[in-house]
Amino acid sequence: MTKHTTHKARVIFHIDMNCFYASVEVAHNEALKGRALAIAGNPEERKGIIVTSSYEARAKGVKTTMPLWEARKLCPELIVLRPNFDRYRQASKQLFKLLTNVTPLVEPVSIDEGYLDVTDVTADPVALAEALQKKVLHTLNLPCSIGIGPNKFLAKMASDMKKPLGITILRKRDLPVTLWPQPVNIMYGVGDKTAEKLQSIGVTTIGELAKADVYALKQVLGINGERLKNRANGIDSRMVDPDAVHDFKSIGSSQTLSHDTTDEKEIIALMTQLSENVSRRLKRKQAAGRTVQVMIRYSDRQTVTRSRKLQAYIESPNDIKHIACDLFFQHWNSEPVRLIGITMQDVSEKTAIAYQLDLFTYKKEEQKAKLQSVVTDLSKKFGPDTFKQVKESNQDNDIRTSFQKDFLDDFKHE
Amino acid sequence: MKTWSDIVAVQPLAGKIMTNSIKRGRMSHAYLIQGARGTGKEALAFLTACTLFCAHKSGVEPCGTCLDCKRIASGNHPDVHWIVPDGQSIKREQIDHLQKEFTYSALESTQKVYIIKEADKLTNNAANRILKFLEEPGSHTTALMLTENSQSMLSTIRSRCQMIDLKPLDPTLFQQRLIDEGMDERSATLISEMTNNITEAKTLNDDVWFADARKLMIQWMDISCTQPKELYVFVHNRWMPHFKERHQQDRGLDLLLLAYRDILYAHLDKMGGLTVFTSNDDLIQKGVLAFSQQKLLAVLQHILAAKRQLQQNVHQTLVIEQLALQIQR
Amino acid sequence: MKFTIQRDPLIASIQDVAKAISPRTAIPILTGMKLDVRQHGVTLTGSDSDISIESFIPAEENGIVQVENIEEGSIVIQSKYFTEIVRKLPEQTVEIDVDDSLKVTIRSGKAVFNLNGQDASEYPQLPKVETDDSFSVDTTLLKHLIKQTVFAVSTMETRPILTGIKCQMANNVLNFTATDSYRLASREIPVDHTSLEFTCVVPGKSMNELHKILDDSEENVEISITKNQILFRTKHLSFLSRLLEGNYPETSRLIPDDSKTVIHAKTKQLIQTVDRASLLARTNDNSVVKLVADQDGFIEISGYSQDIGEVSEEVQVSGIDGESLNISFSSAYMLEALKAIDAEDIKIEFTGAMRPFIIRPENDQSVLQLIVPVRTF
Repeated sequence: MTKHTTHKARVIFHIDMNCFYASVEVAHNEALKGRALAIAGNPEERKGIIVTSSYEARAKGVKTTMPLWEARKLCPELIVLRPNFDRYRQASKQLFKLLTNVTPLVEPVSIDEGYLDVTDVTADPVALAEALQKKVLHTLNLPCSIGIGPNKFLAKMASDMKKPLGITILRKRDLPVTLWPQPVNIMYGVGDKTAEKLQSIGVTTIGELAKADVYALKQVLGINGERLKNRANGIDSRMVDPDAVHDFKSIGSSQTLSHDTTDEKEIIALMTQLSENVSRRLKRKQAAGRTVQVMIRYSDRQTVTRSRKLQAYIESPNDIKHIACDLFFQHWNSEPVRLIGITMQDVSEKTAIAYQLDLFTYKKEEQKAKLQSVVTDLSKKFGPDTFKQVKESNQDNDIRTSFQKDFLDDFKHE
Repeated sequence: MKTWSDIVAVQPLAGKIMTNSIKRGRMSHAYLIQGARGTGKEALAFLTACTLFCAHKSGVEPCGTCLDCKRIASGNHPDVHWIVPDGQSIKREQIDHLQKEFTYSALESTQKVYIIKEADKLTNNAANRILKFLEEPGSHTTALMLTENSQSMLSTIRSRCQMIDLKPLDPTLFQQRLIDEGMDERSATLISEMTNNITEAKTLNDDVWFADARKLMIQWMDISCTQPKELYVFVHNRWMPHFKERHQQDRGLDLLLLAYRDILYAHLDKMGGLTVFTSNDDLIQKGVLAFSQQKLLAVLQHILAAKRQLQQNVHQTLVIEQLALQIQR
Repeated sequence: MKFTIQRDPLIASIQDVAKAISPRTAIPILTGMKLDVRQHGVTLTGSDSDISIESFIPAEENGIVQVENIEEGSIVIQSKYFTEIVRKLPEQTVEIDVDDSLKVTIRSGKAVFNLNGQDASEYPQLPKVETDDSFSVDTTLLKHLIKQTVFAVSTMETRPILTGIKCQMANNVLNFTATDSYRLASREIPVDHTSLEFTCVVPGKSMNELHKILDDSEENVEISITKNQILFRTKHLSFLSRLLEGNYPETSRLIPDDSKTVIHAKTKQLIQTVDRASLLARTNDNSVVKLVADQDGFIEISGYSQDIGEVSEEVQVSGIDGESLNISFSSAYMLEALKAIDAEDIKIEFTGAMRPFIIRPENDQSVLQLIVPVRTF
């Protein structure tokens, strides 16, 4: 893995696919090219709403979440398709596979955007960006915009500046001309609520935010206020972290036995160990999953995988082991086993997880939540790390690479 | 064995344990009935079920003619469930069905009986699921698990059942019965080594395949004693074409085991133990000359190992070829 | 045994009882259909042991003779063949004859079929119920009771008892309650002229079948309970189901009775809004929507998906009383509950973001839909 060199000025790309869903549909069906196209939930029903649309449709005023009937009024020739998420995920996988060929330092942000740290890859970032953009367009038939900056924030803002097929460089020295005159709500990380609060202390443009008083900002926005001011000044120290992927779908661990076995004790011991590995890595990612997959490879190399989707997300080694063992013994044909793998699929960050409460246990959860909210309140005041659960110590040096492997595995599984 | 008195005659202890607990109304929720083939496991389970359901019994003896008794016999009694493994294992659907049945009320009565044949084929997980349910208080459910080999079940499962051990049958008694049924003495001696079940014994005796298998076994013995170099060729030309299936091969190995054991007995001058040969067979004299006691012990080990390999699905031809080479050495 | 029967009523009866017969059953005799022939008519029985359906064809109904030349007796006939044969018979009149060796002969016009029957005494004995122990309920009402609760039963086998509907009769009120532990549905109706009191749990699967087979043209259903089965009887049809064993958890104390926020709304409007909000969340089947009530007269319902974006919609409601509120819940549970409630105006009572909330028709305490919210991290 390439090492980060901290003293050197970094070069970050933010790659953002243009009208991703619509573009994927066009790539699939050339006839749609140049047409006003929208993806909507229920095309045959009036009440369907627009999920996304092509530039041609946007030019007519079609907007995301607009009801379909309204969009049709604005743009009678609108072609409406049902979303095909499998197709988009497929395209996304190919995209990130392509990006990881440029550098392993790829941080996917969502299905259609990501950061690349290309500091050590090239001396001529613009040429690299042009080549990359062409490559994505030619091999995947998809347009993208690339923003280039010394950090994530500026790269992100830059990619937004020219669409479609833009390549924009945003340096710190450009800020007074490019960003500062703009309204504060176009800034990444500033939503309507935040903009409202900023307005209450007289901040309406990014420039005003850059010069605003830190104390006043903290009053209305807490710790986030200072962070936003830094961003407005082009300061952002976040690294491109391949581990920070939102969309990690699976985390797994597998092991070959030292000899083929039918001994249930041995098998259970291995399952316990694998469950612990998976759980530890989930914890490190502050994540949980809700599909458990078990892989059994027999001595004749025949391999079966079986999975079970659960109602609730799980993360503890015991829960994982319990389900994995159940699956194993349900499907094991009693022949000698060579290798066992346990993979947690459907993995999400805990922040993105909604946990369905249970009628018979909600009172207990309520107690837990009260405790949690105390922690959250304190964190808001004193910064997010105050109460972070103690992370695993350095005994887990292997974790970083193994998660990367999971992530890349996702692309290899084609 | 259709009545408790039949059972008590053959299995006095097991019969008493069962009848006593029925009489006293102190049935366990689960029994693990263990015994070799033909020792009466099924008869015991069947009678227990009849006694629990029959409304016309005299003492513990079920009438055998009422609707309950008749339907338990025909498998149509809705509250008596037989779980019979389908091939190598008890299938998942069977366990799922069982679990569902557990949660439902009985159809006709207020009690349910489950008879699980070859219970050692349950996965531990399935067995645990079943026992866990049975241990819930208030379930009027009795499970009778039958097995030839309770040792292959986890001790945690065994400890949660009441164990009923059926004693092995007396071989001479069984041989006599076979002879009474019209079998010649030699066949009766041999077959009583292969099974304890009278019906199976008779089928085996009338089976043309088995008769040929016996002949091939004699030829194998002859070749291995007189011209051992030919054994390998014999395996390919004669032995393998006859023993095609795994269970046939297993039977073939059983026959060889008995034959070599006979030669060992001849060495030790224990002629009463002979099963395949008689003391004045030519072949047994040849065998004594060709194989030392030590060599015979090694051969018996090899055959047992071959049987194990077969069970582990090692390729049949490979197993027998290897055995032939080991014996001819 | 012998009788001559009109084909049409026979086909209708066969179709009814065949619904209970499953080709895959652990009890061999249950692949058959039982025929009981008596002077007053013919009873057909089908069963998969979980449910059993009996259909009675009276010898004479409204002056029309349907069964004649009766010699009493019983037989079990392979259901698959019997059904097919009767359906394809050429003439209106069918003659069925069973000899002492259980050979069944079916004649219609020139067609003659011979089938092997099975001994009827092998067939499970279904409970005979005394009418004293029964009570009567309006058919449409009973179907409502089922429809408004059965969707909430659990489909997971982890707590088997929750796969059933708890049916409770106390103080002349019949109550159906179902929960999968994430939502709960309950409905009750008054029942007159009975002093019966009981509680039993009927498998949800059975209730769905009953709902299908009950004919709206029948006025009343007689319900009775035996030690292990529940019986629903209309004029010519008996539907029996085995019960679930075990204790149904006490749910009444889990239902909050104090509310901090009450929203009054139009059912239809709310259904449409929640449906729209769930649209974006639908990609990851964990379709959680958020409801915020802090402005007078308006609530905001929103859906969010990591991959796609978010949608939110403000809805004017008939009224909001009490504290402001921010709560998330499964849109699917909400939609099912709203659709089951069957009232134009509803009120939703909340006691906090982590506590179950209750939906009821505006002026009707007999229906209750409860949803346990989703906790967001």
